[in-house]
Amino acid sequence: MSTTAAGLSAQLAEARQFAVDAGRGDLAERLERASAALAERSDSVVAVVGEFKQGKSSLVNALLHTDLCPVDADVVTALPTILRFARPPAAFLISDGDRREPIEFAELPKHITGSDADPAPRAVEAGIDRRLLGAGLAVVDTPGVGGLDSAQGNLTLATLTTAGAALFVTDAAQELTAPEVDFLRRTRERCPRTFLVLTKTDLHVEWRRIASINEAHLKRAGLDVPIIGVSSFLRVRAHARDDTALNEESGFPRLVELLRREIVDADRSERIDSARAELGFVVAQLRDRLDAEESAADPRRAERYAERARRSAQLVTGTWQTVLGDGIQDLAADVDHDLRERLRLIIIRGEQLLAESDPRNTWQDFQAWAAREASRAAADNLMLLVARAEQLARDVADRFGMEAHDLSATLPAVGPAVHKARDLELDFQKSTMQQFLGAFTAARVAYGGFFVLGGVGALVGVAWAAPLGLLAGVAFGRRLVKAEKERQVQQRRHQAGQELRRYVDEVGFHVGRDSRESVRRTQRHLRDEFATRARELSRSAAAAEAAVRESVSLTGEQRRTRAATVAEQRRRLERLAP
Amino acid sequence: MSLLDDTRTLLDRAVAETRDPRLARARGRLDEPLRVAIAGKLKAGKSTLLNALIGEELAPTDAGECTRVVTWYADGPTYAVTSYLTDGNAEARPFTRRDGAVRIDLGRPSFQVERLEVRVPSARLRRHTLIDTPGIESLSADVSARTTAFLEAEGEHATQTDAVIYLLRHLHSGDVRFLEAFHGDDGAGTPVNAIGVLSRADEIGGCRLDAMTAAERVADRYATDERLRKLCPVVVPVAGLLGAAGATLREGEFRVLAQVAELPMDDIVELLLTADRFAATGDERRRLVTRLGLFGVRLGTRLIREGHVTDAAGLAAALTENSGITRLREVLRTHIEGRAEVLKARSALAALDDCLPPGSPLVAEAERIRAGAHEFVELRLLHQLRSGRLPVADDRRAELDRLLGGAGSAPSERLGVPADDVVDAARTAQARWQRLAEHPLSARDFKAAARAAARTCEGILAGQNQQG
Repeated sequence: MSTTAAGLSAQLAEARQFAVDAGRGDLAERLERASAALAERSDSVVAVVGEFKQGKSSLVNALLHTDLCPVDADVVTALPTILRFARPPAAFLISDGDRREPIEFAELPKHITGSDADPAPRAVEAGIDRRLLGAGLAVVDTPGVGGLDSAQGNLTLATLTTAGAALFVTDAAQELTAPEVDFLRRTRERCPRTFLVLTKTDLHVEWRRIASINEAHLKRAGLDVPIIGVSSFLRVRAHARDDTALNEESGFPRLVELLRREIVDADRSERIDSARAELGFVVAQLRDRLDAEESAADPRRAERYAERARRSAQLVTGTWQTVLGDGIQDLAADVDHDLRERLRLIIIRGEQLLAESDPRNTWQDFQAWAAREASRAAADNLMLLVARAEQLARDVADRFGMEAHDLSATLPAVGPAVHKARDLELDFQKSTMQQFLGAFTAARVAYGGFFVLGGVGALVGVAWAAPLGLLAGVAFGRRLVKAEKERQVQQRRHQAGQELRRYVDEVGFHVGRDSRESVRRTQRHLRDEFATRARELSRSAAAAEAAVRESVSLTGEQRRTRAATVAEQRRRLERLAP
Repeated sequence: MSLLDDTRTLLDRAVAETRDPRLARARGRLDEPLRVAIAGKLKAGKSTLLNALIGEELAPTDAGECTRVVTWYADGPTYAVTSYLTDGNAEARPFTRRDGAVRIDLGRPSFQVERLEVRVPSARLRRHTLIDTPGIESLSADVSARTTAFLEAEGEHATQTDAVIYLLRHLHSGDVRFLEAFHGDDGAGTPVNAIGVLSRADEIGGCRLDAMTAAERVADRYATDERLRKLCPVVVPVAGLLGAAGATLREGEFRVLAQVAELPMDDIVELLLTADRFAATGDERRRLVTRLGLFGVRLGTRLIREGHVTDAAGLAAALTENSGITRLREVLRTHIEGRAEVLKARSALAALDDCLPPGSPLVAEAERIRAGAHEFVELRLLHQLRSGRLPVADDRRAELDRLLGGAGSAPSERLGVPADDVVDAARTAQARWQRLAEHPLSARDFKAAARAAARTCEGILAGQNQQG
């Protein structure tokens, strides 16, 4: 068994040829797709997250030997910046709906630190020629979390659902704070491969102690996250002077090694596993026909093969369809209800807040609060959708596996087929998810692009009625003025409440539309995936039956020649998937 | 009679009538120095700043979280530590001093201790008592809660502090929440008694030699941030380590730096590339970089090398100058101490409100003082102005803020002119604000503010006449 991608794609090509020879164009097609997926450059996305001013952009710059991410004592990253491999270099502005518009490199910093373009772009992407990126890595520098606009944290978390790994950045100036640990925990939930990078180790004598204090904090919080200390400053200097020892001192080699081993290599072997699962599936189908031919002499078995062929035709519309149909309905209803419930709570809580204060004084805070809550609702709703979609995919795969297994179980285990039956059992029962869904990731299916949350804008400013002016002062007595003031506050509360409802409505509309779209996409993906397989299984069963009938009609001489061919073919398949 | 005298008389009466120990404490507080709390997130450098302000290495500091109990530093005849327990008792505690820092033996779990009081003979503490608080957003939740409880003083207690210095490293939403909580709605706290400090300013921008300039830029931006301006109108960048080291620099430490400064330039660059490298070359150096920070070491080395300083005293002065601590003291003086009377009177009257039933003659008297004293009117207007509730055009806002004592209560500070021109300026300003107050198109709230401003000018003129 070959473990390299090259070896595997040779095997895929050979199996494809076999399938073509056997007249199974459908299986050949499947292998072509698997082979293309294996060869495709699919980058493992690493998101760099953390509070602002912890040195995230410096870390990305130093890691990739570039200065694309603007670094400043004050200015902060406002747009996510995606860095991936490209030759020649190119830069894009990404807006809603994954629209990409090429821009000049010189314009990058302007966009990253915040521009007032309308509609606001969602991200910028820069393609550069770096070995680490070439190995299959994409790095995303995200805006800092925890600033005045903490809606950003929720948006970052939503993005993480589709990232392969996360680097949580905190500097060596101090130990982790409670909000940081909380954010780290939520990051881990969405992205199991999370690492803690301790930056600015060059500035602080006691960084090793901070690292061990942090380790203790993480342990207490029940988070198993490795800590790597780095100095971006030293790495940059080392690169400028081509100084290996200094680079070693910067701590970066360990980080690079970690990224390669834990992320790039892990993702690659996942892709290989998924391609191998496809190969196994196809080989099992091809082998089935050979098994059938070998056992054709037994009339009882011939009967069984015919029976199976009849029943397999029903697999396309089998009970897995019901599981999928019901499941998707439940999922859609639950996700929708969850979103409504969250939005309803925002309105209730928001009205409480408004009732406690005069909106004219607190409007700015209130806007920030509403944006934060809305983005949190959207991010959590998304998390629910992804988790449920994953569960549904597993359920459908299980049911499908069961039905497919029932089919083959109708064949009595005789003679040489014994160990094959065991093989089948292994294939179908052990890891159905892997078997049928390969590297299926609900988040990637549900959301086409990397940026998932649209429509969570901000509450707009409200023009408040002018404060009680001159005329009122002249016309009314003090008491009346007071009553009038009170009335105006009520009026403002009412106005603010209206505005809040309008905003929440808007958010509900956009997020709801996105999530319905995601549900549909998930449904289509799963239905196509399993229907195709069902047709393939059914065709295999038909082919096996045909082979049985054919071999019954053979003369003694023909049968001997045929047996030799079958043995030869079996050896070929054995080599592909023992 | 001054505002403080009025308040004293009223409190004396109240104590005599009620014998309430809380009122007796409030009365005592009127004659004590102003209480200034130092608050902020954990590891913002609160203890370091406290040491720098006192000019003595008193509060223990450490790389990890360190201050876990609210600690008061007050002037006293000798060094002494008293521990006030949550059950209401107080006990004297033994302490040792290591490298100057007062290490206190609590003798019991820290949750039983409400606060510690450290008495120190210090002229600086005679002007204000400083209160060191544990960091908020600490992972030890009880530590955070203690500070919040202490400063918010939970409803029924009047606040224990008169003013707060709030340390920010970067402006986090947690900081804003805290400041908002401290200010409450309109009762105890207002943006007139909070000073923002951009702490650990030396670390901004990678400890390069231009760090303080960069910090200045950041602080300026914070000062213009609309939300923060409502909460604390001034933000001063301070490098606490430098300030503390400047106040306590030892001859030996100067010699260590002087040795480094004599090395060839290339060696210095390599040596000072990282804190690790410098610390690895000797225990003395490790201690030095812990005390001064990498920025302090870099700065000190350069100052010595370029001949700007030649001895420990010179270096100490230069460090202090670069630390921004002088500016902070100045801001403290103008913004807080200049307003000490009214702040103290306010705390005392608030205590009276808390302890007596509403409607009693004493409370009515307190209300009368509040309404009558022009200092209170100014304070209230300043609060309204800064929280954006007063309809004032932007060009007048700054002038009004200054006139109401926002930048210091001396006449020349209020009018923004040299002392010699005060009388003329006051006259012009008085006439202008009077006109605005009487203008038929001015909004009602603004009219009140303009009247108060005119009254302030009259007060200044009266004061000048008395002197002259």
